[in-house]
Amino acid sequence: MTAAAGTGQAMGRERTGAGVAVRAGEIVRLLIPVLIAFAVGALVLLLIGENPVDIYTLMATEAFGTARRTAATLSAATPLLFTAVATAICFRTGVFNVGVDGAFVVAGLAAATIGFALPAGLGLWLIAIALVASAAVGALWLYVPGYLLARLEIDEVVTTLMLNFIALGLTGFLVNTVLLSETSGNNTTDSIHQAAELVRLMPPSTLHAGFIIGLLCVVAYGIWARLTPAGMEAKLVGLNPRFARSVGISVPATIVTVMVISGVVAGLGGASHALGQVHRFSDGFSAGYGFTGMAVALLARNSAVGIILGAVLFGALASAGTTVQLFSDIPLDIVNVIEGTVMIFAVVELGRLTWRRRRRR
Amino acid sequence: MIALVEQVLASSIVLTTPILLAAIGGLVNRQGGVVNIALEAKMIAGAFVAVIAGAATGSWLAAVLAAAFAGAAIGWLFSLTITRARANMIIAGLGLNVLIAGLVGLTMSVAFDASGTLRLDGVPLLPKVLPEALAAVPLAGRALATLDPLTVFAWATVAVLPFALANTRLGLRLRAAGNAAPVARATGLRDKSLIDLGTTFAGFYSGLAGAHLALASLGLFNEGLTAGRGFIALAAFYFARNHPVGTALVCLLFGFLDASQIRLQTAGLPPTLIGTLPYVMVIVGLVITALNTRRRRQAT
Repeated sequence: MTAAAGTGQAMGRERTGAGVAVRAGEIVRLLIPVLIAFAVGALVLLLIGENPVDIYTLMATEAFGTARRTAATLSAATPLLFTAVATAICFRTGVFNVGVDGAFVVAGLAAATIGFALPAGLGLWLIAIALVASAAVGALWLYVPGYLLARLEIDEVVTTLMLNFIALGLTGFLVNTVLLSETSGNNTTDSIHQAAELVRLMPPSTLHAGFIIGLLCVVAYGIWARLTPAGMEAKLVGLNPRFARSVGISVPATIVTVMVISGVVAGLGGASHALGQVHRFSDGFSAGYGFTGMAVALLARNSAVGIILGAVLFGALASAGTTVQLFSDIPLDIVNVIEGTVMIFAVVELGRLTWRRRRRR
Repeated sequence: MIALVEQVLASSIVLTTPILLAAIGGLVNRQGGVVNIALEAKMIAGAFVAVIAGAATGSWLAAVLAAAFAGAAIGWLFSLTITRARANMIIAGLGLNVLIAGLVGLTMSVAFDASGTLRLDGVPLLPKVLPEALAAVPLAGRALATLDPLTVFAWATVAVLPFALANTRLGLRLRAAGNAAPVARATGLRDKSLIDLGTTFAGFYSGLAGAHLALASLGLFNEGLTAGRGFIALAAFYFARNHPVGTALVCLLFGFLDASQIRLQTAGLPPTLIGTLPYVMVIVGLVITALNTRRRRQAT
């Protein structure tokens, strides 16, 4: 497994090499939302009588101080790798898919169900079946709004937003009825078989093989976006659908395709979280990973390297935020303040670009 | 049986009010060109401010006004990011929801040393408009007796709104700015300020919605108080395609679903599934509308 980790990281670095073409000015612009967000966070900390420098230093040490803490950070970053890629695929095509969270949740339930319901004797096959099934569930989940947008021009923001709530209701219903565990109380399924658990990379930390699957998704996304004709076509549809149509790209087909790929990635994310992190499905399965992933994708401006950095940043905030809450009086809500500010300022900066994109029809 | 109908009717009306107030704000905002996805944020802020202001002043009116102005202020700032800094309204709205939830949670734990639920002494509840004796009237009596000022205000707005949007200068200008900003600008209207006005209005009404949630019967603030009602409001005016009266009726239906959830649960229907009905309805509604438009287009 460590060998696999090595390959994943090596490939990641390769992509970094290709991405260095980004100009310095670009990098500064990319950092602005983060800087503003940390400034807002610092202001809030000052208002409540804390020293922001001390708190930020504490958070940095908590997030990266030791190998074990770094592992915890990467573990918290894992679901974000998936949700950010799933979001970025759509955003760069000009499709405002805000339904990654819903796909993550339904696919997570599918993976967990396979993980405990199929015979444990299947061994590693159990993981393979669960991954394929959850990718299919995620794909199907987002195919619906994709089809509605492509064929009937139904606003994808509304449908995907509504589907998130439907996902919560549906899974909430299932884990309280047919899939309810008989032994572990309310709102949860049985634990998955040990054979279905993704391998832990650095025990005792919860960092698991899902992190590598996530990195592979980011790398695959980067290659798709930069090097394949399909990725290029999707980008053109995002930039100017009329132009795309006139050069012979099928806009509806592209929209459906990116939504399905987005569903596959979100679905794999749900499976990784179920099989690697929580080992079951219970209510509150996604702690807003879909939305944090959106913040990551916006921050990264859909670039693969940016997604890795952004996911690690938010993973660090989440894991350090929890410990800081334990050891000082700073509530975890500070992480929400920073995340919300990042989202707002990422688009304030992006303003003109996204505005033009929105006028595609 | 009659007692049951009376109860469901009364609680449907109470539960409709917050959804309706937020939906009114959202639909005016939508007519003015903004899809306001941050109604939830302003409801949370409104509920939070209402409880604090209520405890501080002991007056329900002061609490309600404070909530409304807090919502309006947040709405105005939100609007500036859209109109002046040209932020994408969907992302900025989702960001605002996260940000406000964080700020409210932070304030609650730092200033009040509470987490999750904020209970303060002396928070006034909304008064009843009509005398208690009305409850004796069969069927509607109980609903009439529970009417509070915000419910009356919400329905009064629904009554005035079609006229205000179709026949007043401000209403027409707002819709012009929302539907055809370049045209509005060409005729000398300040389109951005009009859009700001619409978003501030949505904030005001969402603040009221939050105040109603906190002060109608609870008298306290809870982080889960809004429970997605800002999005249900969004579903309502999307489903009714921005028609004020239609939106109000859809809100009434959602309020009824909310009120009957517990009773339906005892009849064997799962509450979580019923809770998703508004969202399913919107998607189905949008599909039907789109199919109709397409058929009409093909017919001509």
